[in-house]
Amino acid sequence: MNTPISSRWRRSRAILLVGLVIFLSACSDGPPNVTVGLITKQEVNPYWVTMRDVAEDTAEDDNVTLLTATGTSDVDIESQSAALVDMVAKGAEGILIAPTSSTALLPAIATAKEAGVLVIAIDTPVDPVEAVDAYFATDNQAAGRLIGQYAKAKAQQLDLDPKIALLDLAPGISSGEARHRGFLDGFGIAEDDAAIVAMADTQGDRGLGEARMAEILAEHPDVNIVYTVNEPAALGALAALKAAERDLGQIILVSIDGGCRAIKEAVRPGDIDATAMQFPQNMAREGVRALARAIRGGEKPVGYFDTGVELVTGDPAPGVESRDVAFGVRNCWGD
Amino acid sequence: MAVAHDDQSWGPARVVPRHLRVPFILLVLCFATWGAAANLTDILVGVFRGIFDMSNFQSSLVQFAYYGAYFLLALPAGYINNRFGYKTGTLVGLGLAAVGGMLFLPASEILEYEVFLLALFFLASGLSILETSANPFVIAMGAPSKATQRLNLAQAFNPIGANIGVLMGAVFILPELTPESSKVIMNDAELLASQQADLDLVLRPYLGIAAALMLIWLLILFRRFDLPESPVPLGSEAKSSSTASRLWNNRHYRYGVMAQFFNVAAQTCIWTFTILYAQDVVGESAEDAGWWLQTSLIIFLFSRFLMVWLLGIFRPPLLLFVMAVFGVLCCLTAMFSLDVVGLVAVVSASASLSLMFPTIYGIALQGLGEDAKYGSAGLVMAILGGALLPMVHGAVMDTAGPAMGYAVPGVCLALVAAYAMFDLKNPRAAIEDAQAESKPGGERP
Repeated sequence: MNTPISSRWRRSRAILLVGLVIFLSACSDGPPNVTVGLITKQEVNPYWVTMRDVAEDTAEDDNVTLLTATGTSDVDIESQSAALVDMVAKGAEGILIAPTSSTALLPAIATAKEAGVLVIAIDTPVDPVEAVDAYFATDNQAAGRLIGQYAKAKAQQLDLDPKIALLDLAPGISSGEARHRGFLDGFGIAEDDAAIVAMADTQGDRGLGEARMAEILAEHPDVNIVYTVNEPAALGALAALKAAERDLGQIILVSIDGGCRAIKEAVRPGDIDATAMQFPQNMAREGVRALARAIRGGEKPVGYFDTGVELVTGDPAPGVESRDVAFGVRNCWGD
Repeated sequence: MAVAHDDQSWGPARVVPRHLRVPFILLVLCFATWGAAANLTDILVGVFRGIFDMSNFQSSLVQFAYYGAYFLLALPAGYINNRFGYKTGTLVGLGLAAVGGMLFLPASEILEYEVFLLALFFLASGLSILETSANPFVIAMGAPSKATQRLNLAQAFNPIGANIGVLMGAVFILPELTPESSKVIMNDAELLASQQADLDLVLRPYLGIAAALMLIWLLILFRRFDLPESPVPLGSEAKSSSTASRLWNNRHYRYGVMAQFFNVAAQTCIWTFTILYAQDVVGESAEDAGWWLQTSLIIFLFSRFLMVWLLGIFRPPLLLFVMAVFGVLCCLTAMFSLDVVGLVAVVSASASLSLMFPTIYGIALQGLGEDAKYGSAGLVMAILGGALLPMVHGAVMDTAGPAMGYAVPGVCLALVAAYAMFDLKNPRAAIEDAQAESKPGGERP
């Protein structure tokens, strides 16, 4: 009488066993765990917060243990140097670093590489660029070119005689210089073109941007095209233009970044005419993936990787490819 | 063969007779399944926009295919039920819907938006027949005195299914989609691979729905239903014609059909574009946007119970007016407050929607007597609003910005409020008296 029950029990056990084997084999399908580090410059700027958030999400999806560290400012070399040493000691097999200095961190990077750690510079290059395995960043010149092309097409559309003010970063900073060159290239003018009526450095700071723009307007009230190296400088310039009661409909204000605040508060209402959006998400996502892939025996990241740039505007210019503000809101960084 | 039943033949009146509990549960599953399918479709609009890189107008064709099928199949479904019985109607609906769900499989291989629309059309066609069959099927499934209670019990599972549909999208589709920022740096081959991967995500829940529909189909096919197989046939053509004329001359009914059209339109617009509003206006991630829609449906679910209580206190047209005005205010807030306040307004609009369909239904059919049977068909066919107005909403988004699209449901709800005001200001008795005076010897006393 026990036979049918035992038979059913045996069958059930067999099914359970098969199920367990399938479950375990499914569990063991994932890639082996690797450890990767991310060192950002600081966490006051939402740009770096977005980068860390995306790196954490990517690491979670890709079975990567992510170590994170950050400095206290854009020039905090000591914190980054200490973080490099600490991460190597903790067993990081690859490190993404947004260097606060192009040269001062080279010794710490070299020590990490000697320990067999892959190092990718993100957002900001080191000098020489060969000091790291790869460099993942925005093509700043391409970003400048996009807003230069836009400003030119818009000026033609509005039938403006261009009077250009350039609000730059600071001398000797490669990203700022590349954006400046790109803008001139996109606008189709040289450095000494008569259309350029004023140039000033803003350090990428809102307050300085406002002050420099006010000075320029006092000297050149006929300025009708304003290039800004980043959105804080653009918001400062905007404040100065509004304070001077200039007709924003007859002024073309362009910038570079793609932060949520500027997109929602200035690009959406049309105060900033267009911005070239960069993607810190892609630096983090592609950086973590590239390191994990290489550590697991895949292709090693080398050279420069362009993390993309898109022109965002609510008022497209003829002949210039752009994305709408909704795209900007969906993909901006920060809150 | 028709089988007559009365309260006595079912013994002591139960909501669902004991021997019909399993069939009843199977039909309840149908109610939940079509709720899930309908609201999963709301998520698809944004998903397809991203996958196929389309405008809002183009992506809103998803709702055109879905609700258009519902509209087109309403009358054939009625014919199938009258000619072959509710069980056949239910099986045809389930089968066609399952085929529609399975069509997602070739669609995800072909990678053409139009093929997905075709699959959705088949799915919705089946669900239209299923819904048209299952409602009277449930009514016939027991003592007539308990029919309303039984139908309400079965229909209670529809919003539960709706929530499950959105949950499936929020859990299985939205968080797994390829990030839009990632596509910026992809080459053509990588874009194609990401498109395939994303469409695979869409495929899974629909295959799940198709599998559930097929299972229910099999269980119903082999289950004996001791029910009327041939419902009472429709009246003669002459009678139908005079009924249509009477209905058309009744302003409460005629305007009621229009109000229902705009109500369904507002509901479809608000839910369809909640995710896009959260993403395009506020900047929420796709995953979080899905949870906002989920919250909207939960508000809808709980508001229904609240409205039932309030309808016991206030006159239905008065409550309809107040809630429609509330909905208009929500839409206005969504249009001009481009932040989380606007998003809360979009989600809160569900509270205003919760009482509208049954309340307009009741007001429009009030006092129609036998004509109500035919009149209800017109109200159900007002679902066409859900097919047409989302396209207008999408077009407005494309031209004036994503927040401005909410002008469309705002206008729709204002028209619903106007209908409620009309009903409040034109008491039925006065109208009937006026009609009697103007048409001595008219068809209605």
